[in-house]
Amino acid sequence: MDVNSFMEGLSIAIEPINIVWIIIGGFLGTIVGMLPGLGPATAVAVLIPMTFGMNPVSAIILMAAIYYGAMYGGSRSSILLNTPGDGSAIAATFDGYPMAREGMAGQALAISAVASFIGGLIAVIGFIFLAEPLAAFALEFGPAEYFLLMLLTLSAIVSLSIGKMVKGFLAMSIGLALSTVGIDTQTGIYRFTFGSSHLSEGIDFLIVIIGVYAIGEVLYNLLSIDEQRKEKKKVGKVWFSKEQWRRSKWPILRSGPLGFIIGVLPGAGGSIASMISYTTERQLSKRSSEFGKGAVEGLAAPESANNSASVGAMIPLLTMGIPGSGTTAVMLGALIMLGLRPGPLLFEQQPETAWALINSMFIGNIALVIINILLVGALVKVLDTPPKVLYPMIVVLAFIGTYTLSYATFDFYFLLLFGVIGLFMKVLDFPIAPLVLALIVGSDMEQNFRMALTSSNGSFGIFFSSGVSIALIVLTLLSLLYPLVVHWMKRKSQNKHEDQMYKSS
Amino acid sequence: MKKIIKVLLTMSVILITAACAGNASGNDGYPNKNIEMVAPASPGGGWDLTARSLEKVLSEQELVDKNINVVNKPGGGGEVGWKYLKSKDSHSLAVNSSLVLTNNLLEQSELTYEEFTPIATLATEWQALAVPADSPYQSASEFLKATKEDPTAVKIGVGPGLGNDDHLSLVQAASEFGINPAELNFLVYEGGGDVVTALLGGHVDAVTTSLSEVKDQHLAGKLKILAVSSDEPLEDLEDVPTWQDEGVDMVFPHWRGLMGPPDMTEDEIAYWDKKLEKMVETNQWQKVLENNDWEDFYKNSEETKAFLQEQHDLYQRLINDSGLLDN
Repeated sequence: MDVNSFMEGLSIAIEPINIVWIIIGGFLGTIVGMLPGLGPATAVAVLIPMTFGMNPVSAIILMAAIYYGAMYGGSRSSILLNTPGDGSAIAATFDGYPMAREGMAGQALAISAVASFIGGLIAVIGFIFLAEPLAAFALEFGPAEYFLLMLLTLSAIVSLSIGKMVKGFLAMSIGLALSTVGIDTQTGIYRFTFGSSHLSEGIDFLIVIIGVYAIGEVLYNLLSIDEQRKEKKKVGKVWFSKEQWRRSKWPILRSGPLGFIIGVLPGAGGSIASMISYTTERQLSKRSSEFGKGAVEGLAAPESANNSASVGAMIPLLTMGIPGSGTTAVMLGALIMLGLRPGPLLFEQQPETAWALINSMFIGNIALVIINILLVGALVKVLDTPPKVLYPMIVVLAFIGTYTLSYATFDFYFLLLFGVIGLFMKVLDFPIAPLVLALIVGSDMEQNFRMALTSSNGSFGIFFSSGVSIALIVLTLLSLLYPLVVHWMKRKSQNKHEDQMYKSS
Repeated sequence: MKKIIKVLLTMSVILITAACAGNASGNDGYPNKNIEMVAPASPGGGWDLTARSLEKVLSEQELVDKNINVVNKPGGGGEVGWKYLKSKDSHSLAVNSSLVLTNNLLEQSELTYEEFTPIATLATEWQALAVPADSPYQSASEFLKATKEDPTAVKIGVGPGLGNDDHLSLVQAASEFGINPAELNFLVYEGGGDVVTALLGGHVDAVTTSLSEVKDQHLAGKLKILAVSSDEPLEDLEDVPTWQDEGVDMVFPHWRGLMGPPDMTEDEIAYWDKKLEKMVETNQWQKVLENNDWEDFYKNSEETKAFLQEQHDLYQRLINDSGLLDN
């Protein structure tokens, strides 16, 4: 680390105009993150014409603030309405929504803001000291390693489907099948597009998320709208208890670095980071049976992970000029137009720009935790909104969000279709996350699998050929077998118990 | 629930009609209403940047006094946007590139370039062949020789799909060198960035991509560009030979242009010739080219028409050579 450039960057980041941009960007990011379908990539893209007149450094600071701001915002709607705003906020529905239903919405919102903050801080510190070695580590990931990483992510499905394993795997299979729609990059052949150019790039997982979660949730609630419980839901305190903090502390501290490292890998990102951290914490926890029913650490861990992943995603962008996620790809395009080219020469030629951004993320996370905690009081009022007002609003937002994805009304049919699918899944008690998760990673998983085999001339040895891949295999096996082991141990102790009973009788 | 679905359907119908409503207009004093610049891609991509740069320079230099609005219509490698353009009047123009030729040649689209009115070719990027800094191949001819001996032994990264300029530029170089390009071992990555990551990580032996993806890495010494597809050595990269220097007779532009809907009148075409000719001379446009690592490649409507014809024949040959249509 070069102290001079660091100080110079800091002095740029604390210029009043840049502080204003950080706050505007963070606030805007929080808002778009909250709304189903409107994600950071859309927000940054919409702002491109606005950044034309801006100083490139301010522009990158603003765009980055939107990006991690959206990570704070994304979980708000997951917790309050069970409708994640983005792929990386899905994990927040698992325990955040049950918490809100039990009258702990305020606590859930507060702990997730603090978890995001700590995750963000860990990642910024990691960025300052580890940017270069981590960028080099990311390069170790070839097709085989990416395939195994996706497999590890998918193994989370087992712990998400405990008690309904068959349904979980059915949902996963549907997700994987949907991910095959569109052009097959290895051969250029169109699959299952039925001659429609709208399908040629596949089914956007965001449409599916908005459909099954937002529209599905609305339809599900419509079934019972007239017998809606009269009693006012409690929103609880707007700060978490000491006990909740004690339970979340270590999961937050563990998930920060985990999310950061996954974020550095180009193409992995917040969805995968939050899912892996959720599964890990569930398996490490002594209270794993409470997960999915409102365990506070099950909310805090993925929140910490997805925010640190968004900071991590800046590393390949800044050090190699390689966008690691959809949002950073849009940022790269916008920055090039402004004449700022992120890449290996940035730290050499304009170190103050790079350091200004890093410092701005530090300030931005502080600003965001304050903004988000102040917003808690206002946001919990959403729960007091009568359903007949709230649900139509969600539907409108879902349509707007869908339209901004590719500016095509064609997508509305998909939105409605997946809304109905989401409804049926809820009615039949299918877990929804396996479907969405499989769709998010399915296509990359398949392509990387085939690329790995092409590059090894068909030998499966490539999946065991590096330290990273072996580590990933071990983790996947642990994740898959852990529930079985627990089950088996329980049975064994039960048997022992029965044996003893038998003997004693 | 039924009601809701009805409402939703009505909403979508209204939106669809609104989107499809054609704008009838007379032709006295073209243009007599706002200009629509169609970017057949999502915001932030190359086509979007081209459309937005055009909008910016044409408006700020006061060349076009009507408003110019950029409309994003992503999907199908440009097809969605171009289909949309086809249904519009002469106040809509769309950005294009060689995909307007190859989509059809690759049998992925029914649209042909002949259905549109060529307006201009604006700028080009050049293609580059790059290897890791410590690669056993230190020149393009060494690379080609090794590939000729055993085409499957050399793993070549390309993205985001076969049949694009990144792929076909190497197909052309290989077939000029006497290699059957159908035998080359391509790994297809999702985009230019992923291709470069794969090269830096040593997961492929070489990559063929746009120059801008690898230029900085080359200057930083992280990888080595063996050849560029331009006709003469490029600024900042004087040490990098062109394919012609390496004895392969080819110049391969990765161009971007502009086209209009079918049946534009001669007056309308002449209007754009006049405006764009002026635009490419402005300092502001030169700055856009510089920032994007593009090079001026301006051809007016007449020249573009002939150029497209010539490119079409070239791509037809390359795609046949590539073996993409065999399976």
